[in-house]
Amino acid sequence: MNELTRRHFFGRSATGIGIAALASMFQDRARAERTGGLEGVPHFAPKARRVIYLFQSGGPSQMELFDYKPKLREYAGSDLPESIRMGQRLTGMSATQSSFPVVPSRYRFQQHGQSGAWVSELMPHTARIADQLTFVKSMHTEAINHDPAVTFLQTGSQIAGRPSIGAWLSYGLGAETADLPAFVVMISPGQGGGGQPLYDRLWGSGFLPTRFQGVKFRSVGDPVLYLSNPPGFSRELRREYLDALGELNRITAAEFGDPETNTRIAQYEMAFRMQASVPELTDLSKEPASTFELYGADARTPGTFAANCLLARRLAERGVRFIQLFHRDWDHHGNLPRDLPKRCRETDQAAAALVTDLKQRGMLDDTLVVWGGEFGRTVYCQGRLTESDYGRDHHPRCFTVWMAGGGIQPGLTHGETDDYCYNVTRDPVHVHDLQATILHCLGIDHTRLTYRSQGRDFRLTDVSGIVVKALLRA
Amino acid sequence: MKYLASLALLVPLFAAAPVEFNRDIRPILSDKCYTCHGPDPGHRLSSLRLDIAEGAKTAIAAGDPGASKLFQRITSDNTGKRMPPAYAGKAKLSAHEIELIRSWIEQGAQWQQHWSFIAPKRPGLPAVKVKSWPKNAIDFFVLNRLEREQLKPSDEARSAVLARRVALDLTGLPPSPGDLTLPYEALVDRLLASPRYAERMAVRWLDAARYADTNGYQTDGPREMWRWRDWVIDAFARNMPFDQFTVEQLAGDLLPNPTLPQRIATAFNRNHRTSAEGGIVEEEFRVEYVADRAETTATVWMGVTLGCARCHDHKYDPFKQRDFYRMFAFFNNVPDRGLVYNFGNEQPYLKAPTPEHERMLAELDGNVAEAEQHWRSLQPALAKAQRTWEKSLANAEPLDWTIEGGQVVHATPKPSTFDGQRVVEVGDAPRFDYLDPYTFSVWLRPSSPNGAILSRSEDYWEAPGYMLLLKNGKLRLHEGLRFTDISLRLETVEPVPLNQWTHIAVTYDGYRKAKGVHVYFNGVEKTTRVEFDELTYPFSSSQPFRIGAGGGLRFTGEIGDVRLYNVALTPQEIATLPLRESINAIAAIPESERTEVQRDRLTFCFLDRFAPTELREARNHLIGARKIRQKYYDAIPTVMVMSDAAPRESFVLKRGAYDAHGDRVTPGVPEVLPQLAPGVPANRLGLARWIVDPANPLTARVIVNRYWQMLFGTGLVKTVDDFGSQGEWPANQELLDWLATEFVSSGWNVKHLLKVMVTSATYRQSSNASPELLQRDPENRLLARGPRARLSAEMIRDQALAISGLLVEKTGGPSVKPYQPAGLWQELSGGGGYRRDHGEGLYRRSLYTYWRRTVTPPAMALFDAPTRETCTVRETRTNTPLQALNLMNDETYIEASRKFAERMVAEGGASAESRIEYGWKLALLERPAARQSAVVLKALRQFEAHYTMEPREAMDLLNQGDSPWNRSMNPAELAAYSGVASLILNMDEVVTKQ
Repeated sequence: MNELTRRHFFGRSATGIGIAALASMFQDRARAERTGGLEGVPHFAPKARRVIYLFQSGGPSQMELFDYKPKLREYAGSDLPESIRMGQRLTGMSATQSSFPVVPSRYRFQQHGQSGAWVSELMPHTARIADQLTFVKSMHTEAINHDPAVTFLQTGSQIAGRPSIGAWLSYGLGAETADLPAFVVMISPGQGGGGQPLYDRLWGSGFLPTRFQGVKFRSVGDPVLYLSNPPGFSRELRREYLDALGELNRITAAEFGDPETNTRIAQYEMAFRMQASVPELTDLSKEPASTFELYGADARTPGTFAANCLLARRLAERGVRFIQLFHRDWDHHGNLPRDLPKRCRETDQAAAALVTDLKQRGMLDDTLVVWGGEFGRTVYCQGRLTESDYGRDHHPRCFTVWMAGGGIQPGLTHGETDDYCYNVTRDPVHVHDLQATILHCLGIDHTRLTYRSQGRDFRLTDVSGIVVKALLRA
Repeated sequence: MKYLASLALLVPLFAAAPVEFNRDIRPILSDKCYTCHGPDPGHRLSSLRLDIAEGAKTAIAAGDPGASKLFQRITSDNTGKRMPPAYAGKAKLSAHEIELIRSWIEQGAQWQQHWSFIAPKRPGLPAVKVKSWPKNAIDFFVLNRLEREQLKPSDEARSAVLARRVALDLTGLPPSPGDLTLPYEALVDRLLASPRYAERMAVRWLDAARYADTNGYQTDGPREMWRWRDWVIDAFARNMPFDQFTVEQLAGDLLPNPTLPQRIATAFNRNHRTSAEGGIVEEEFRVEYVADRAETTATVWMGVTLGCARCHDHKYDPFKQRDFYRMFAFFNNVPDRGLVYNFGNEQPYLKAPTPEHERMLAELDGNVAEAEQHWRSLQPALAKAQRTWEKSLANAEPLDWTIEGGQVVHATPKPSTFDGQRVVEVGDAPRFDYLDPYTFSVWLRPSSPNGAILSRSEDYWEAPGYMLLLKNGKLRLHEGLRFTDISLRLETVEPVPLNQWTHIAVTYDGYRKAKGVHVYFNGVEKTTRVEFDELTYPFSSSQPFRIGAGGGLRFTGEIGDVRLYNVALTPQEIATLPLRESINAIAAIPESERTEVQRDRLTFCFLDRFAPTELREARNHLIGARKIRQKYYDAIPTVMVMSDAAPRESFVLKRGAYDAHGDRVTPGVPEVLPQLAPGVPANRLGLARWIVDPANPLTARVIVNRYWQMLFGTGLVKTVDDFGSQGEWPANQELLDWLATEFVSSGWNVKHLLKVMVTSATYRQSSNASPELLQRDPENRLLARGPRARLSAEMIRDQALAISGLLVEKTGGPSVKPYQPAGLWQELSGGGGYRRDHGEGLYRRSLYTYWRRTVTPPAMALFDAPTRETCTVRETRTNTPLQALNLMNDETYIEASRKFAERMVAEGGASAESRIEYGWKLALLERPAARQSAVVLKALRQFEAHYTMEPREAMDLLNQGDSPWNRSMNPAELAAYSGVASLILNMDEVVTKQ
């Protein structure tokens, strides 16, 4: 029966009607260490076994944080020259501004560690682990607005409808756990409370079967939707209930012979196990005080970026394949000097702590950590420019991400931008290149992880993407 | 592994037949060769084309595989020569594929045009051996095939199983117990006549039409399209012929004298997502919307992946990029915009009253007319009373009066002089926002042509908020959130005179548009020049209301009496504002010598302050009646519709980029298909009629195939959204063609088609699968058994509501918000979040659930409902633990289980056995087998024992959900039955159509 079901699953999965799910994202604990995924994937020996992606939603300003541009002081207040802008399109928010005055960063920069990486004073904790990180300063994208830009980073297409990177990995690699999903998402709003919205589809499965979509771990209510038994229905009753349900369903399976019924029995048991494993996972009470010293006091508050970083480590320990955090509210069109430092305070210590923690636990080598937003910000001021206030519009032509661990050579600074922090002048890295590189670290040839939908073989990197070999650890 | 699995299916299916190009060879060539040897010249890496007969012939020697270059290359041992080459990323041909090609060449290498581009011909019924089995034509095709495969059909399903199956399929709900007494065909007729049928049919159409209640991008603001949803339900209820259904939705507005419903129908192609994200490049998104219309239309009616030709010629099918943009051109004339309004419908839209709205509106119009009539009848009395009053003024104190109704600020700066620095802040002024009507009234004596008169905004140029300025002498109004793209700006053509007093008034009607702003100097309306007209977002500022300051400017000169009203005063009222003479002075002027404005001022004053109660009440009544009527009218739903008001030029867009215009194109259909008949207009109406022309090879097949999928779980062509080369060859083309031709010749009669399908012996088979049959045909493509599939998302919920008795059946109306875990909206986008309904909104069928695209209703999403972001016609079913958690723990199902339990206890007799049997029958329409009953009974006893010991837990469980529990029942017993009810609702059989 198992063999039959297995073939059945593979036969249908090719067209999207995945029904039986013995090979689905949750699977019998007794089977292999890896659950789900495709045969033949990974394509080659991976360096990383999992990814933690710290997505900074809204577009953090590269020239305030990592991309040091001393010359901007000289250019301050002058109009961005056409020789730099080169007719590139601007968003509808600033395209009709009467002028485009260059505004230098207010923040001090220093070189850090043996690698001499430039990091601004806003990110002191990150600066301290600079030697663990590799900065890609030459990221560029095609989109100039949030929705298409985040969608592009997540799915490889600006137009929604394709699977997210986590869904691709869930589909291709499955998880290294039978008790948790392969792809988990956590969101922190930023104390500003506002910021750009997010959308379910950013961790959606697109045309892949829905079981590959990211499962959102929430800080309000049940960590996983509908996880808790209702009030007045204890775990003991649930056990009795499931024993009866299993028995009834086995009678049905015998009558109709439908493999789906057996799968359903297994999934209810999996649900029961999740009811125990998820609360255990999200219960931070047994973490020692040193953990909270490392991650910061915020880590005690559910729903903060710091708490999510700590959870990310716990998820990684338990075999989740792709863990993605979204921190909102990096969209600083105005009031940048007021708001940007807040976002940094909310994220800097915990992001650095996560890398440190993984390293201490010997997990950094096979965990790829990525930090970055969907685009950069303009060198020119958007809106009011005063002594104490300025803002920056969206900028697709360059931005900075950092990567650490899992197959990445530490201590590098890759790529350069011009003196205006406007154009990439050396080693450009396109979004598809970043995606190809992440997949490469996981042992996946990005051109070969494909799925057929409406007659076409789709992949995360669409029709392009080049692995950035220079970033890879030998 | 994947390939082997599909082969296991293919070989037994086709081994008996001779090789046929379309069925056996084209799929191989398409998948493995067309990327480089196919229709797309941009990507063709060789002069050899294998997608057209002329090309292929050069590489094939008919009858002689060995002499055929094609065969040599696919079988070559030399990896440098073997096709497909390793660098193409395609797997090498399998032994089976090579064998098929060999046989095909040997058999003469007959070429065929792609099957779905040839119009279907009605096939004769094939011969069958077991003549007693078929009930209608479908069964001949199915049985003929089964007999060739040496398989036997299954027995007919038990009547209860079959009744439940057909009721779920046709109405989305289990049948009523009374339905079981009917003969099968009568049951089918009753189901098809039920209003539930139309709702069920609408759901899949809403998926295809990407219908939702929000815009879908970024902040995902609300829109109002439910009048279209109700049009769809109504069309299915009336069994509107599918050709008419098509024409009205694609081009109802272009029909002669279109009716309101025909125009509402066109909302189909306005259901696509839209973006209100500030800063987007409008044309980029507008192009996206047009492309969505073209792609959706192609998928829904033509079953082709035309979108693949958006950036380049199609790689597998004979669609050129030009074909795509000619289809695009049909939909490119809508006067819509790329950046849409975030809080409601975007142009073009129309008021879409329901009959109930129309009735109510007529009643309110009647009230207004009546009040007007009454008011007119009082005019002589008014004149008389006013004259008496006027006389009394002669000896009275001088009376200064200005319109008071709606006045919210009255400030007179003392002194009146402003020196270019002074700022007067007024506390307590309203924060007029973009939907609030207002009037500004101010006296002005400027001595400089630049300055700020009043503002409520940040104090810098172009700041968010509202401000009234002088710029180069012109009176300038600016209000909005962001100067560059979200604001309204206008200024007068004429300057305000310097160094003399002028009365300035500005009114705004609260409808977001510059045309609702009027500017007056001394009571006379002035022409304005609109600079920007995008007041699409709230902008209210927490800054104080300031006189003499705004936008970083200051005023030089004098400012007198400043008044703000929270209404837009009428021109007649505005005209009275500049009059400075006292009321007494006007009254002293003989009536015949008063100007019209003087007369108005006197009357307004009298009515406001001095008229007898009866007159004032009559006037207030009239004003009130008009307000109520206006408010009601404003609340009548609108719906976004298609319109060809703004013909645009269309171009091939190179690489699909919105700004890379290639050749200009006119509207037209793909070259490879039959063309529009001469004389047919090349517009949406022509396209719609072409789509439903019986000569169109695709439409009827595509539609009947989707209905087949709806009933049987898988289409006859499994790739319901791709009838092209990469799509699947139909499992039974003759059956597909018979159904397609039957559909057309029945007058596109959907109910007829469904009835034929569900009354076939094929459909009525038992879905029990023996291990042998499962091994042989796991996906049931041969149809040797009946369909068995998990219920769709909305059916699972609707069924639970129906079984528990909670379901509120009411057709149509605005979308409702049932239970949803708290915080789902806030965590993604902040704001006020999801506010669920109370009362009947919790218990309506799921097709009425408010659909926010970026935060899909979670229970629907878990059970594979499409996100409604883009057109989806394929039905998918997954099976996950998250579904189990939902069905066991969602408040919806806890409450439904309790109500279901109440029914078992109240209606199921006295014994536990009879109550369990009753509950089982409510869910599955038949009695449980003894051992099933025993399992449930054992669980019941366990639950009872628990709740008897733990009465508080029983109360906790019973208190879930808004509906009250039956207090006359024993709580421990009811809680135990709730557990049993939940158990039944979670059973595989119950969540499955079988």
